[in-house]
Amino acid sequence: MLLLDYQNVLIESLLKDRLAPDATPTSIDQVVSDFDNVTFHISTPTSKSQILVSIRVKCFDELVKYGAQAVLEREYGPYIVQPESGYDFSVQIDLAQLPESQEEKDELVAKISLLKRNAMAAPFEQAFDEHTELQEQARQYTSESAPQGVREGGEVRAIHYREEEGIYIKASHDRVTVIFSTVFREETDRVFGKVFLQEFVDARKRGVQNAPQVLQSNEPPLELQGQPGLARGSGKGEVGYITFVLFPRHLTPQRRGEVISHIQTFRDYFHYHIKASKAYIHSRMRRRTADFLQVLRRARPEAEEKERKTASGRTFRVQA
Amino acid sequence: MSQSLRPYLSCVRSTLTAALSLSNFASQAAERHNVPEIEAASSPELLLNPLTVSRNQEERVFVEPSVNSVRVSIRIKQADEIEHILVHKFTRFLTQRAEAFFILRRKAVPGYDISFLITNFHTEEMLKHKLVDFIIQFMEEVDKEISEMKLFLNARARFVAESFLTPFD
Repeated sequence: MLLLDYQNVLIESLLKDRLAPDATPTSIDQVVSDFDNVTFHISTPTSKSQILVSIRVKCFDELVKYGAQAVLEREYGPYIVQPESGYDFSVQIDLAQLPESQEEKDELVAKISLLKRNAMAAPFEQAFDEHTELQEQARQYTSESAPQGVREGGEVRAIHYREEEGIYIKASHDRVTVIFSTVFREETDRVFGKVFLQEFVDARKRGVQNAPQVLQSNEPPLELQGQPGLARGSGKGEVGYITFVLFPRHLTPQRRGEVISHIQTFRDYFHYHIKASKAYIHSRMRRRTADFLQVLRRARPEAEEKERKTASGRTFRVQA
Repeated sequence: MSQSLRPYLSCVRSTLTAALSLSNFASQAAERHNVPEIEAASSPELLLNPLTVSRNQEERVFVEPSVNSVRVSIRIKQADEIEHILVHKFTRFLTQRAEAFFILRRKAVPGYDISFLITNFHTEEMLKHKLVDFIIQFMEEVDKEISEMKLFLNARARFVAESFLTPFD
């Protein structure tokens, strides 16, 4: 399992069980956590056949500002209900009114397990649309006569999806820039992160030529000038900024869904592999330590076999 | 084994063999105490001349003999930030298990990464030449282990980066 899944596996399996043809309705009340402090609540508040799935995202206000409501309405239209209290968005499935065919049911399950992905996708979609618009506008000008607005690109969309960490998206006429800010809590994470990021930067030179350009720095890049609430750190590099430059070929309507899903998983993927490397190195050190102990044990002279006696004074003797 | 490592290790080996001639020696300062004199350092006449064996600026071994104990400190090569962190993690891992290692000191001497403290009780119940073997083998393998871990980290990072970026292709 190298790449992370886009959907929430727990929700998927829960719903699949409930939607199976021979399943009897049961009551559910389960809180499910996902990456980035996202919480789901799956419950059957009124009757056993009505499953309510609610999501809470830390930055839901920001997402709404960038058009999340429209995206969610497009995806979940008839299923949307009034948000449960304490959560930001809710959908409800009625087991009595399910679509007929198995494919449609599977599609519904897949859609609901992508709730987090869809909520977070709004700013990306908006930026990609803006890029298309700017591209149209830019066609009318030559490079000299372009007015400032077209060359500079649009506003920066900031999503503060974790404490201290954020995603910043900026559209312009020839590319969309996605910037992740990330914080390394520990010295080891920082050093490992540096090694990993360097490889991300170099990967393009080595064969993955069509990948987005990746840049990294410990200072906020120029695109983010004037943004409030940027993490700066104390200059020791515990804050990192990773910039992905998406080119028009990543932004075509056929590919955008996939690209949005994939780039969203970057931060979790990156930190997951740092942790995985640490775990591997730890187990390796454990093995090596056992080897060293073995060597040291050789230094102890072996205890000579003494004659063993029972309490009554008889001795053991090997029968010849 | 590289050209300069062999004389370095053989020098450490003979130094240690010479230094490990220890005898039981009760404390002169407190009655019925028997402490490693190199740690107590209460009587200067019991301490012998300390000695450093250096391979280069980065790697060296510091041997401090005394009448009933020897302290051996090793500085492990750390060429860059990654090696530094790996050495730090590894030595910490070992010192936390000092109990099992008998001769390992819980804390390294300042300026070194790991220290061993061998007393006359250790040399009485363990074979002296095997103890020396252990330290030599430790020095050999620790370098190898650190560079293998570093290679692994780089290889993994490369693989991880490429597999993340390939779906964009």
